Amino acid sequence: MSNTSVLRVDGLSVHVGARALLRDIQFELPAGTCLTLVGESGAGKSLLAQAVMGNLPAGLQARGDVTLQGVRTRAQDGQARRPLWGRALALLPQEPSLALDPLMRIAPQLAEVHHRVVGRSAALARTTALQTLQAVGLGDAASHYPWQVSGGMAQRAAAAMALAGGAQVLLADEPTKGLDRYWQDQTIASLQALMQAGGAVIVITHDLRVARALGGQLMVLKDGAVVEQGDTASVLQAPQHDFTRRLVAADPARWPRRPAPPLGDQVLQATGLRKCFGERVLFDGLDLSLQRGERLVIQGPSGIGKSTLGNVLLGLHPADAGAITRAPGLPMSGLQKLFQDPGASFAPRATLERSLRDVAALHQQPWASVLRTLDKLRLPHTLLRRHPHQVSGGELQRMALARVLLAKPALIFADEPTSRLDPITQQETLDVLLDEAQHINAALLLVTHDEDIARAVHTRMFSPWAASPALLP
Amino acid sequence: MTDVTRNPNRPAAWRQRLGWTVLALVGVFALLGPWLIGIDPARQNLAASLTPPGARHWLGTDLLGRSVLARLAEAAQLSLGLAVLSALSAALPGVALGVTAAWRGGRIERVLVMLADAVMAVPGLLLVLLCAAFAPGSYMALYAGLSLSLWVEYFRMSRAASRPILAGDAVQASRLLGFSPLYVLRRHLLPELAPMLGTLLAFSAAQAVLALAALGFISVGLQPPTPELGLMMIEFLPHYEEAPWLIMAPVSLLMLTVLGMMWLAPERAPA
Repeated sequence: MSNTSVLRVDGLSVHVGARALLRDIQFELPAGTCLTLVGESGAGKSLLAQAVMGNLPAGLQARGDVTLQGVRTRAQDGQARRPLWGRALALLPQEPSLALDPLMRIAPQLAEVHHRVVGRSAALARTTALQTLQAVGLGDAASHYPWQVSGGMAQRAAAAMALAGGAQVLLADEPTKGLDRYWQDQTIASLQALMQAGGAVIVITHDLRVARALGGQLMVLKDGAVVEQGDTASVLQAPQHDFTRRLVAADPARWPRRPAPPLGDQVLQATGLRKCFGERVLFDGLDLSLQRGERLVIQGPSGIGKSTLGNVLLGLHPADAGAITRAPGLPMSGLQKLFQDPGASFAPRATLERSLRDVAALHQQPWASVLRTLDKLRLPHTLLRRHPHQVSGGELQRMALARVLLAKPALIFADEPTSRLDPITQQETLDVLLDEAQHINAALLLVTHDEDIARAVHTRMFSPWAASPALLP
Repeated sequence: MTDVTRNPNRPAAWRQRLGWTVLALVGVFALLGPWLIGIDPARQNLAASLTPPGARHWLGTDLLGRSVLARLAEAAQLSLGLAVLSALSAALPGVALGVTAAWRGGRIERVLVMLADAVMAVPGLLLVLLCAAFAPGSYMALYAGLSLSLWVEYFRMSRAASRPILAGDAVQASRLLGFSPLYVLRRHLLPELAPMLGTLLAFSAAQAVLALAALGFISVGLQPPTPELGLMMIEFLPHYEEAPWLIMAPVSLLMLTVLGMMWLAPERAPA
């Protein structure tokens, strides 16, 4: 069994015009194994998955062959693999919110796969869908619309749908992104179950812990080319290429614990906070005080209301009960936020220079000091001419930080600020954020799913949900 | 990469250029036509009734011997002017109310939506008719009626488009940084609304041209002897057998104008 190759890719490359985006990819996946792709953002990992699926964006040319369960097709001929989608070849895309139908409740969407793809009766498909959702902890969310659930829950729903068709080969693009450790382990377990059933898995991830847990082969990509490929355990233990070594070193598990700076004045005091979403109580009777210089990490399972708590503290959402007292003399702009998706936090039709100049003018800061901040954050000035969508995630997050610093905040609320970044960029970006927060003696409120990051960064952990297991999914 | 993304839009850009060209031609005809032709559109010459197109009258004359080309130019001026004016004056309150509704929410939004729904429930032409009934044959009544029926689309569009923008991270970030609502309007809302507004302006101007002609055709809009496309059609209709070129003239001009406006709308390539 283990010798039969389920998926084989020969000499795959992807070009746009004369430029190669992906060069000479070669691998073979026997039944029951997996291949993990790691590398910088923009290295071509998602492109590789799209080329194997056969849904490359128009205008990109693929060369090479894809052999799926013994049937050889040309990589360019995506149409030939289309009939296999869902049944033999499934893709779990990176943005679950884009993969789900926003106008349809979650359970019927899953039932549709059981009904249309697998061919079960409508009634059986419905009950199977509900059972599956129960198993992945979404029983309560079955009748919700995708936009009503958290990112992590949407991720689990999308995974359930990708696997529902009984595909033997699954391509998972960052399947653990936005998930807390518990659901990460559940996702890893479900991928392993698929492998044990004779399937094969290609996983794209930034998280080396996931790669280690899955085992199998590892492929390290940089600028569209393979820099290292081989057995996961041995590559991670003894990386040969310099880039792989940097990647391994940037793993949050290896970060040293940052020393705690001295505490300053109080910034914020919250007492008896309560917030509900409809029937669901997110938190009640919550007390919290924040001082300058401290780094508070909010912990809790996905979808529990960590981001909402931050937004309530900043005054972005009203609390249902309780009071938030700010330090006297602290203006509204003294509390700032870094968003999970920095691209969406800039006006899309203005250049970055326009946006930054507006903020500098509002807060009466000379443009020269803005440029100095950019230099300190290692941002080339040429980026200023671009629009937000033309800049990479790591640079944008630092740009967002530069913007936030102009307001001289006393508190920075960072909501998963690096979850979309590769490990190397993540470390750079977070280092800069922590340095700057310390430099201006601001309090930092951090929401992160990554326990390693939380451990390395925190001066105080805050998990109001740990005490009430009834709220856990 | 730019070539790849731009390609699917090529036909649309070409179509838009065609639309601008057609409208520019109609516009030049409307603005400069009366001066270039140099014939009084109201001057009758009963001896030259229903003359076929010739050197003196390029499009012939009507039953009363008036130059059809001169009358057509006047009619084009009237239609275009009134259409653009009413589209613009519908857009201003429509967008302002739409953004207000999305921004304030709550009771203000509910009242505005109810008002818009009430206007939607009355057929647009009927609303214009009601206004026209107050002052038959008056420009102002027609203009007011057209604007009253057109603002709803601007309201609905800008409210629907504003809501996700106002709820988005970019606006949240701007508010946290201390920017005023005016800044949010200028930097976030208007740049996103502008392309949709352009499309809607073209469509509602076309709608206004058609409505004006329809009212003239059923003789409840502007009154003779005003040269107006709908009026001209109903005047020419009895002579379609002996002088078929007559009815062709206002119909072609109406079609060209509306078509030109439709072509202006950028057609988005399916994602």
